[in-house]
Amino acid sequence: MIPSSSTPPEPTRSTAPAVPGRTGSRARDGRPRLRHRLATTPARVWLLTVVSCAAVIGLFASAAHTLDQARSGLDVLGRGAGPQAMATTELYLSLADMDARIADVLLMGTDHDLGSGREDALGQYEASRERANEALLQAASLTEGEGVQQRNVEEVLDGLGAYERLATEALLRNDEAGAAPGEVDAGALEAYRGATRMMHTELLPKAFNVGLDSSAIVRANHEEGQAAVTLGLLWVGGVGAAVLLSLFGLQVYLRLRFRRRFNLPLIGASAVTVVLTAGVVLALVSSSGHQSAAKDEGLDAAMSLARGGAIATDMQADQSRYLLDPDQADNYQQVYLERSQQVLFRPVSNLADYYTAIDEVAASYPELPGGGDGDPGTLGYLGERAHEALLPGQEERLAQVLEAYNELQTQDRRLREAVRDGDTGEAIDVRMNVAHSGDGTFAAYEEALGGLTEVHREAFDEGIRRGDAALSAWTWLLPAGALLLLLLVALGVRPRLAEYR
Amino acid sequence: MRFRHRRVAAAAALAAAAVFGLPACSAVLGGEESLVDADSLTVGVKSDQPGLGLETEAGSGEFEGFDVDVALYIAERLGVAPENVDFVAVTSAEREEKLISGEVDMVVATYSITPARRTQVTFGGPYYVAKQDVLVRADATGIQGVRDLEGLSVCQGAGSNSAARITEGLGIPVEEVEGETYSDCIERLSSGRVDAVSTDNLILAGFLAQSPGAFRFVNNPFTDEKYGVGLPYGDIEACEAVNNAISRMYQEGDATEMLDRWFGETDLEMVYSVPQFEGCD
Repeated sequence: MIPSSSTPPEPTRSTAPAVPGRTGSRARDGRPRLRHRLATTPARVWLLTVVSCAAVIGLFASAAHTLDQARSGLDVLGRGAGPQAMATTELYLSLADMDARIADVLLMGTDHDLGSGREDALGQYEASRERANEALLQAASLTEGEGVQQRNVEEVLDGLGAYERLATEALLRNDEAGAAPGEVDAGALEAYRGATRMMHTELLPKAFNVGLDSSAIVRANHEEGQAAVTLGLLWVGGVGAAVLLSLFGLQVYLRLRFRRRFNLPLIGASAVTVVLTAGVVLALVSSSGHQSAAKDEGLDAAMSLARGGAIATDMQADQSRYLLDPDQADNYQQVYLERSQQVLFRPVSNLADYYTAIDEVAASYPELPGGGDGDPGTLGYLGERAHEALLPGQEERLAQVLEAYNELQTQDRRLREAVRDGDTGEAIDVRMNVAHSGDGTFAAYEEALGGLTEVHREAFDEGIRRGDAALSAWTWLLPAGALLLLLLVALGVRPRLAEYR
Repeated sequence: MRFRHRRVAAAAALAAAAVFGLPACSAVLGGEESLVDADSLTVGVKSDQPGLGLETEAGSGEFEGFDVDVALYIAERLGVAPENVDFVAVTSAEREEKLISGEVDMVVATYSITPARRTQVTFGGPYYVAKQDVLVRADATGIQGVRDLEGLSVCQGAGSNSAARITEGLGIPVEEVEGETYSDCIERLSSGRVDAVSTDNLILAGFLAQSPGAFRFVNNPFTDEKYGVGLPYGDIEACEAVNNAISRMYQEGDATEMLDRWFGETDLEMVYSVPQFEGCD
């Protein structure tokens, strides 16, 4: 159906050249034959038809390519790098939880029924170790070929074995010494210090950095994809305009040559071109908007909360470390405050002020303190989340998280007051109630946080789903539209060409 | 900072985008400048901290120290040769301002990452996590822990809140003395006018390396000071590239070499493993 440029000329029916005097220039430019061939009306109609059809095919190709890029962008974010990146945040959480459980068991000493009990804590340790192993496998496949991160993953894998040896030694020594609750055996403490130091200087930083890097990969993929789609959009728009222009040219030529006012099929083709181009552009813009929403409000937010949750796991374990290592207690208290500040920052310099500040935040939410006079407001993983709640149910969930976090800090205040009053037994009880895996204060916080994270995970799934939906109709609309265009062009020129048979 | 010109295509697309009036195209098409495209850098460093950032001769424009080495390493990883890195002196108070005004492209100057600063500056790293510690005279055997400082005089640099961390943070009453600079504090400690100097252990180690044996650490580190690489706010691409460079600096042993070179003579307990990054967004 597509005519080629080697259409045989029909000299018998040739009309005079459009512009008088052209005959003279034919010999001069040395291409008389081509000029001569194109001088016939049917040849010109054919040429304009070929140009129009080529433009239609160009429109189809550019639109198909760009739609494909948009689809694969959604696919990578929704089913590839996105979920994998989410899985890497699990690594940090599991490692932090392992060290937390060891600290709890050491603190319990001979009283195996404190909180949810020694067996439970050891079971949680095993479960976290298994999750860490799984996350490491995931991370290993994700970072394969990524020199720097691959090596980080390998080093965490190696380090985990060494950590476990130290942790086991600490538990064994404490058991052998028959240490009472809160009175950790000196040898056991020495081993635990080595273990927790190793965890905090070698394992956790690398695990965290691997997670950050997978976020960076997602961001780079996303931005590259968006840039490619934007460029594709410009192509689609440009080629669409070229189709319109060529159809217009054909229309004008037919009108001048054949003195027909309208060529309905060609007018139809112009209309279809406008609809097709605009439709593809709108679909791409809308899908790209959904994809960005899935990333920003969905994945990035969920990952940031997951990181905040992992840091909080380490933070609450500082309570146990504070109690079991009196020599380093000041240090652990300071570290507890610093980790708290990472989760939810307020401009205060000690724990007493921090408790008050957090109580204010929880009480006044959704109003937030600060914002002027050198007060940066609420910052940190939770604090920044709190600034705006765009998703349905987000504000309510966030209020629950802040409430649970405040309760965690309230219990911390009780714990440290008990220590100050010399009531170690009470302090250990408070700690074990915080750490209780069933109805502990921290478990309640984790549950509230999980609820909030779920809101963002849903936003992520929803964004990907809507992005896909915006594109899905075009799998058949685009080829159908392109075929329709070719058909209309054919219908438009065929009767005119027929006049020359 | 000069830029490599490699974005002709992007610029053309950008022009087209402007014509079509599509929103957000400039961001998507890389219309924003990033340090990763720079082929020269101006880096702000300290000029008065031995071992970290020290101007070798006043006004010479030549600097040396751990921060300087870190900056050169990162610059190289960003594709900027050492001869294209200009160092300028910055004081603690002017770090944000110079970064925001564009006077410097990067700050590597014992610049602690804090949540408040992160609202104005994008931080790569940290490249090292220092701890706040206390330096006392080597013969002051009575001071074994930070609690032994009760009632003694502790010197801190102007504008620092190190001593407040002891008084307010830990509830230990000490007499706060403010020196003009840390060199000033060290002189006072040396001559017996103050009992202790409190700040980051890496800064203290730099002074200790200058006069080994004169002082010692109380060795009771009680806060994390995360030394970050200050970058123009929002330059996430550069931040990720800086983090990658820091990871390699540790993995390939360069960090160990640098730390040993500047602080190896002291009894500072160093960490030779990559720190936990803060994240770029």
